[in-house]
Amino acid sequence: MPGEYDVEFVERGDREARFLVRGATPAFANGIRRAMVADVPTMAIDEVRFIENSSVMFDEQLALRLGLVPLTTPPEGEFVEDDVVTLSLDVSGPATAYSRDLVSGDALVTPAEENVPIIELKEGQRLEVEADARIERGQTHAKHQGGVAVGYRHLQRVEVVGDLEEFEDEESRIVRGVIEDEGELLNAEEFDNDLAKRYPGKEVRVEDVPDAFVFHVETDGSFTVEELVTRAADSIEARADELEEAVQL
Amino acid sequence: MAYKCSRCKRDVELDEYGGVRCPYCGHRVLLKERSRDVKEVAVE
Repeated sequence: MPGEYDVEFVERGDREARFLVRGATPAFANGIRRAMVADVPTMAIDEVRFIENSSVMFDEQLALRLGLVPLTTPPEGEFVEDDVVTLSLDVSGPATAYSRDLVSGDALVTPAEENVPIIELKEGQRLEVEADARIERGQTHAKHQGGVAVGYRHLQRVEVVGDLEEFEDEESRIVRGVIEDEGELLNAEEFDNDLAKRYPGKEVRVEDVPDAFVFHVETDGSFTVEELVTRAADSIEARADELEEAVQL
Repeated sequence: MAYKCSRCKRDVELDEYGGVRCPYCGHRVLLKERSRDVKEVAVE
């Protein structure tokens, strides 16, 4: 059993972050990645009632588009499964219906992104709908995925082992993600992902640092990255507890 | 049944005996209008 985790942020934003975790096994790193993608519940439109649709698109297609609009998800415990938040939209042409035109019945659940176009309406066309949003996990449908681009890489350590021989061709050496250089974390984009540019004329050795993973996490706007990671960890914990209880019976 | 004549754009009521023809302009192409019911669609 590994000891304590050591977490260090490389980049940190509301929606996107890159952080290093030391002391995690590959199995655990993948477990937390999967939990972020599929096990953190988010709000999304699940049912749409069409009062008027004189646009050029079928009801079902518009319903799918509405379902994929990311909605902010309230703090844990605020909503349980089968709770419904109603949103309405009423746009008359000529205009484009955007996600910001969705009026929510609950201030906690609003479109996370304002500029998602839903449909362009021409003169005389009108779209009036009422939609029900529900909280579900990403396993059931991709619209409920809170983490949209979640992945990790091994942390790579770069060491200079010597000089290149004179007149030897300098070949580019591409690395991605984050590297560790004399104990310092460095985003590979800073040197154009090419080690030959950072160490011209040097011979370098690259090796994986054991049990150190650099996560790159991006959310759809339902919540912040921190929220996503902690909720994913909570979900693993809850399931582990459940298993423990079941085993003891 | 509510239809709309595709030539004169007027609302047309069809009965059993009149055949498919607009009573105002005689055009034989009629368009069926969308019903006014609220339609429920599940997002899949």
